[in-house]
Amino acid sequence: MALLSRAPVPALTRRSGPYTAPPSAPPQFGRHIRHAVAYGPAPFSAAVAAVPRAPASRPLSARPARSALACHAELVVAAPSKTVLGFLGIGIMGVAMTRNLIKAGYQVVVWNRNPDKCKALAEEGAQVAASPREAVAAATYTFAMLSDPEAALHVALRAGDGAVAGLAPGKGYVDVSTVDAATSRTIASAVRAAGAAFLEAPVSGSKGPAEQGKLIFLTAGDEALFTAVSAPLDAMGKAKFFLGAEGAGANMKLVVNMVMGAMMASFAEGLALADKVGLRQQDVIDVIGLGAIAAPMFALKGPAMAKRAYAPAFPLKHQQKDMRLALALGDEVAQPLPTAAAANALYVAARRQGLGDSDFSAVLEAVAEQQAAAGQQ
Amino acid sequence: MADATKLSVGFVGLGIMGEAMARNLLKSGLFSSVTVWNRTLSKCDALVAEGALSAPTPADVVAACDVTFGMLADPEAALAAVFNEGGVLAGISAGKGYVDMSTVDEATSTKIGEAVTAKGGKFVEGPVSGSKKPAIDGQLVIMGAGDKELYELVQPAFAVMGKKSFYLGATGAAARMKLVVNMVMGSMMGAFCEGMALADKSGLEQTALLEILGLGAMANPMFAMKGPGIMQRAYPPAFPLKHQQKDLRLALALGDALNQPLPVAAAANEAYKTAKALGRGDQDFAAVYEATQK
Repeated sequence: MALLSRAPVPALTRRSGPYTAPPSAPPQFGRHIRHAVAYGPAPFSAAVAAVPRAPASRPLSARPARSALACHAELVVAAPSKTVLGFLGIGIMGVAMTRNLIKAGYQVVVWNRNPDKCKALAEEGAQVAASPREAVAAATYTFAMLSDPEAALHVALRAGDGAVAGLAPGKGYVDVSTVDAATSRTIASAVRAAGAAFLEAPVSGSKGPAEQGKLIFLTAGDEALFTAVSAPLDAMGKAKFFLGAEGAGANMKLVVNMVMGAMMASFAEGLALADKVGLRQQDVIDVIGLGAIAAPMFALKGPAMAKRAYAPAFPLKHQQKDMRLALALGDEVAQPLPTAAAANALYVAARRQGLGDSDFSAVLEAVAEQQAAAGQQ
Repeated sequence: MADATKLSVGFVGLGIMGEAMARNLLKSGLFSSVTVWNRTLSKCDALVAEGALSAPTPADVVAACDVTFGMLADPEAALAAVFNEGGVLAGISAGKGYVDMSTVDEATSTKIGEAVTAKGGKFVEGPVSGSKKPAIDGQLVIMGAGDKELYELVQPAFAVMGKKSFYLGATGAAARMKLVVNMVMGSMMGAFCEGMALADKSGLEQTALLEILGLGAMANPMFAMKGPGIMQRAYPPAFPLKHQQKDLRLALALGDALNQPLPVAAAANEAYKTAKALGRGDQDFAAVYEATQK
């Protein structure tokens, strides 16, 4: 379903904070266009579609001024066997995503801080670059999947051989890292200053969905680049959203992961309390799995949690980073978030217990008994 | 006791849930008879017209049946049905079974169970998960505890009323399970509302957030069902907020008693208290969203 441009918004409803456009900016409007969703039926879509859409009460993230967009050279639509793609950051996510691009027939040039991580992909046909700049220069469009804002900035902006140094008109930089909006805007500015197009594209989905090509892209920035990399995105994911000017995708990702983090912490508290009151944790998982709060996440992770096993699909340190960034966003827009704050404290406690590299479900350890419950299975 | 397929069963409490559940027992044809009772006797008429028997008091139901099921609105009603003059307890004798499917606190359930067993009867605590539609469709989730033999005996009845039943241990375990599950549900709703509020405050569309949540590992029926109402700030009650807050309060008290940290549930509980103070107690528990807007 496509939402076309909204009516301009009266100045009275402008928010304070970084999202306010300068007074001289053109009328603000944003677009929510959901492109191809290849996945199965979404049962609640009808209910959602039936909700009368209220008029915008505030402007969406500011669009870049028209003149900046006009500077971009024409972007070639990416297609297998025609387009060279770059991929920076070959971690849990990067390796799986790159593999899907290779399988789809793209020529891919990869780079990772530790080059050992690129070896497997090299054997599968990827070229290995010595620096971000080299990968970006060799490719038309480059994806980056770094672990946090600091890494994303460093890889993009480091002097001499950072990604931006390799950009030029006609190229595009798609940052799939989960970062705060300010970091994303900083990278966007630098990318555009080089004459290239920018798309922020954090994903919802961890290791499994990455391997299965079922990620959900939450994009924002240059819509022309979104269109140009449509096919590679479809090779890696099952759905993609374009949410407006950069910042919108980053923020949406933070909101989504904040809900996820709080959900997991709630679930962990349930399992811990169940154990304390003499219930079998697997029974709790089974009862929950049959009712209104049945979520795939609980069914997937619950049984391992009951065994206190936390093989990482989504490392806890990254979940805590996302909670922290979401809380910072709440601060910026004056939205109190007490449940999320309580959950964040549990993740911090779990990190202090040394569980940062475990799956985020290890937050259970922050509420469960420290000594393993005798006979608990 | 009689062979399971020839059990005579009784049903006490024909409200929204009880009538649907009793009807399923009747329609199944698995029982030699189904005898019903409701405080307002006229509520029995529909089922009697469909082939049920009716009795003037709960004691009469129990006396006439091998196993009697109870489905009362709250602890007060559940206790009254059992302990009042002519109540369930008066009809209990050696070998009779009473299955209380009301949602009550552990203390109430334990009290009823002890009284029933003291008179030679058997007791199962069997609260359910699911509301009107699952009751009609025979798709309830039944959390059972108490007398294992009686629990096994009523499996055919549970299979007719629900999609799955669990045996969780001695009386009290099912009440605790309901509390744990409702605590997780209450916290999840709190988290969901914070997400919706943050999206809105940040200039993101709540519709987009709902759609994205619905596509991934976090997707669950509650978000899908309650999301649209939250967007419209309309909360017709399916599960009243005051009951959700009560359940959180009880769960936190359990945590206190056992030294179990529950910081997320505690934070969510505060939001429900705020929503109650805003006059939203009788609305659906999704109205906790209003606490984010305060």
